[in-house]
Amino acid sequence: MLSTLELSPQTLDAEAPIRIAVKNLDFYYGEHKALKNINLDFRDRHVTALIGPSGCGKSTLLRIFNRIYSLYPEQRAEGEVLLDGRNVISKDVDVNELRSRVGMVFQKPTPFPMSIYDNVAFGIRLYEKPPKSELDDRVEGALRRSALWDEVKDKLKSSGMGLSGGQQQRLCIARTIAQKPEVILFDEPTSALDPISTGKIEDLLEQLKSDFTIVIVTHNMQQAARISQYTAFMYLGEVIEFAPTNTIFMNPAKKQTQDYVTGRFG
Amino acid sequence: MTAATDMTSLPAGGMVTRRAPKAGFDRLFRTASFTAALLVLVLLAGIMVSMVVGGWPAFREFGFGFITSTVWDTQNEQYGAWPAIVGTLSTALIALVIGVPLSLGIAVYLTQLAPAWFKKPVSTAIELLAAVPSIIYGMWGLFVFVPLFAQYVQIPVSNVVEGMPILGTVLYSRSPSGLGIFTAGFILAFMIVPFIASITRDMLEQIPSVLRESAYGIGATTWEVVRHVLVPQAGVSIIGAIMLGLGRALGETMAVTFVVGNANRLSASILDPGSTIASRIANEFNEAMGLQLNSLIALGCILFFVTFVVLCIARLLVSRVKRY
Repeated sequence: MLSTLELSPQTLDAEAPIRIAVKNLDFYYGEHKALKNINLDFRDRHVTALIGPSGCGKSTLLRIFNRIYSLYPEQRAEGEVLLDGRNVISKDVDVNELRSRVGMVFQKPTPFPMSIYDNVAFGIRLYEKPPKSELDDRVEGALRRSALWDEVKDKLKSSGMGLSGGQQQRLCIARTIAQKPEVILFDEPTSALDPISTGKIEDLLEQLKSDFTIVIVTHNMQQAARISQYTAFMYLGEVIEFAPTNTIFMNPAKKQTQDYVTGRFG
Repeated sequence: MTAATDMTSLPAGGMVTRRAPKAGFDRLFRTASFTAALLVLVLLAGIMVSMVVGGWPAFREFGFGFITSTVWDTQNEQYGAWPAIVGTLSTALIALVIGVPLSLGIAVYLTQLAPAWFKKPVSTAIELLAAVPSIIYGMWGLFVFVPLFAQYVQIPVSNVVEGMPILGTVLYSRSPSGLGIFTAGFILAFMIVPFIASITRDMLEQIPSVLRESAYGIGATTWEVVRHVLVPQAGVSIIGAIMLGLGRALGETMAVTFVVGNANRLSASILDPGSTIASRIANEFNEAMGLQLNSLIALGCILFFVTFVVLCIARLLVSRVKRY
């Protein structure tokens, strides 16, 4: 199993500043405690993967960073999630402004019921009122960066719902990066896609990490190994091991991690 | 164990006595259920045919003028449908103008914002509101709403707009009794709210939460999520829900007859009494005969046709709900 993992040469910058610091974080779905005392650091302009079996809490953790859990009154977080030193789970944070700084791409493509152009421009228009020419440039730039421009440049006015699944997901990525966020959260972004579309998204992630801090939840260990520089292995709501990706996959410190990455459970 | 109690072993000779299938009964059952289904079509066709046949003398007598004429004179046997058609359309329009924003507000609040403890009672209340018989709305409208409306709205408004251009015509009430086109539309609004609100709520609930989350996820406010993502996503099916409400508003009889004022002449003011097709029929069918009866049936034909078309469009739109 280990031999089939293609580990890309990871360029780690151990000096990179910490963008998100999670300290003593607990999370509850009503009475159920889903995350237990999480402590993790996410480095600036690195890709950090969260892996672990279903129900281990990796998506739950991701959904805290942009406070999307706040949509559901019965869910609550306790502890600290410091984004550039500010605790994002405190009550006085403007969640809309936070979400424009911390973008998210979901398991399924979620194009909005509007044109391709408007899908990308929507997020920009929420917080900025750029002149038309600048807006056009930013939409084009975001579509180029998400490797979608050549496929859609002739039909920007047609509906985003008409694209293929993989194109829709790249559209969602374009929509997210058009807002110029600092952090992008990916919640199993390729789980609904075919292998070719998956490959394109992974290539994209590789490029995006030079500008954004990326956190990705994935079920696919090869994917984590290919694209991430740091990996956290979670199990039953706890972080079992957090280390550079090469270490997690080649030389894990914990037996549980070893068993999971070699496919013995999970 | 004796052979007599062993139910699973074959009796001597290896033959089991089976119950003879009752082929005759099954055929009867199938025929009966087919007939029941066929009855619906026969009934619909029968109503259509008898309406057309009954109304034919009026159409023949007045021609196209039956629709455009504003005269309804039982003494001189002159009948025109225009005031009733206008009354029907304007009460329904007023009902939509008041009822649709209210319904959308309810649906959005229930699906997006309401805490669980509040959602349940409001949802149930909406279902109950839909079950209130129309005569109750009519009575409430006549005995409770109409006097209050006359005193606190109709009279002050008439005083204010008197002499103004346009407003002085549309909102001026010659006899501030509280009865009128606007009152009927207002009562109708509350009657169609439960339908539009509950269908719209169902439509919004069918939208996958991941779409909603991703709209919130780029920093949109509740208003922006609803306005730009959820409502366009539910799209035509919300229009379908509105059309269903419109269908009910067009045909509603009892409540409207109570409060519309039942005037035969056409007034330019929405605060003046008027009549709708349904209220006109309900008022006059008892004493009608001859050409008057034919004219009432012809009115019914027009209403039937309009409602039928509206409902067809509504069904079409509702069934086109987008599966994500």
